[in-house]
Amino acid sequence: MTDSLMFVMQAVLLVLGCLFFAVGTLGLFRFSDTLTRIHALTKVDNLGLGFIVLALLPLAPSLAGGLKTLLIWAAALAASATSAHLIARAVHVRPEPPETGEADHD
Amino acid sequence: MTLMLQAVAAFLLLTLLIALVRIWRGPAPADRMLASQLFGTTGVALLMVLAHAQSMPTLMDVALILAVLSVLAIVAFVTRVVRIDQSPQRPDSDSGSGSGAEVRHD
Amino acid sequence: MPPAPVSPLITVVFRGTVLFVVWWALTLGESSGLAFGAVVSALVAVVSLRLFPASGFSVRPAGLMLFLGYFLSRSVVAGVDVARRLLSPALPVQPGEITLTLNLPEGSPRWLLANTLSLMPGTLSILLEGNRLTLHCLDTRDPVERDVRETERQVGRVFGLAVDDSAEAAR
Repeated sequence: MTDSLMFVMQAVLLVLGCLFFAVGTLGLFRFSDTLTRIHALTKVDNLGLGFIVLALLPLAPSLAGGLKTLLIWAAALAASATSAHLIARAVHVRPEPPETGEADHD
Repeated sequence: MTLMLQAVAAFLLLTLLIALVRIWRGPAPADRMLASQLFGTTGVALLMVLAHAQSMPTLMDVALILAVLSVLAIVAFVTRVVRIDQSPQRPDSDSGSGSGAEVRHD
Repeated sequence: MPPAPVSPLITVVFRGTVLFVVWWALTLGESSGLAFGAVVSALVAVVSLRLFPASGFSVRPAGLMLFLGYFLSRSVVAGVDVARRLLSPALPVQPGEITLTLNLPEGSPRWLLANTLSLMPGTLSILLEGNRLTLHCLDTRDPVERDVRETERQVGRVFGLAVDDSAEAAR
């Protein structure tokens, strides 16, 4: 009984996580400038990751495994916040020239 | 549960691929750097789900390292665009080409 | 307000313990590696004291717990908020920038605030120069400053600092 309840909860969390990741990807297309796209990537994707982590927690093999899952989550959150700040700062300090139609190919 | 996790992994992979299309189109280098952030969240979620779906706990370590390395990639990019160890210049103080390729040696 | 100095020994023991717990989790509690992990944790804790001297801010467990609760609930609000805007056909955003004067002291508190704000609803920290923080807002019609002040209070509580709330408004 509790098993099936747990399964349903995990399923709901996984679906929620997938939905948020999908919306985050949608944000990359709908938002027109870099800074607002970062908003979509950091906030929405991190919420998606949070739901996925919650769904995976009961599957952890041991207490250490669960803690490791949470640590990865914390690392991903810190990474995301730091990356967001660094890219935003780079864009702010050195704004991109307006689009001239000529994409720069490396 | 395994089947469900595999479906989730496939879905995450799909959103990742769609997002990569957007990132490939750019146009600004900063837009492309969002790929690193994307892998820092969606990639981590994908690997964590796969770790359980494929019963390969090692993938958890891959997820952790991916999260940490994604920041380093951003740092490398940002230091190409702007020196982070000095207070930033105003945007118009250096009318760079915006390609982000110039390295200033002081 | 100069924070009370913390004994280096306490700092080393604290950092070593945290590192060891992290080691234990990352190795999934593998017993054969615990001794090695203990030695490495101790060494790293000692070396870290040279590289990152104790900042003088001590983390209050109760404040940290309250902050974590606040952070998690606001992250959910942030994600749902952006998702709602994205799914609405009209795409209701009005991006803009706002510069605030922070009341938190230099160092870890300010950094924690700047990083936290990037994950809070509608804000993204761009530039932190001294006590001036420039934020990118998803929607400038939102009460951004009020939210920032609340987050500032929460961050202050982690370090046991009373944040002076007679805040100067955005310029």
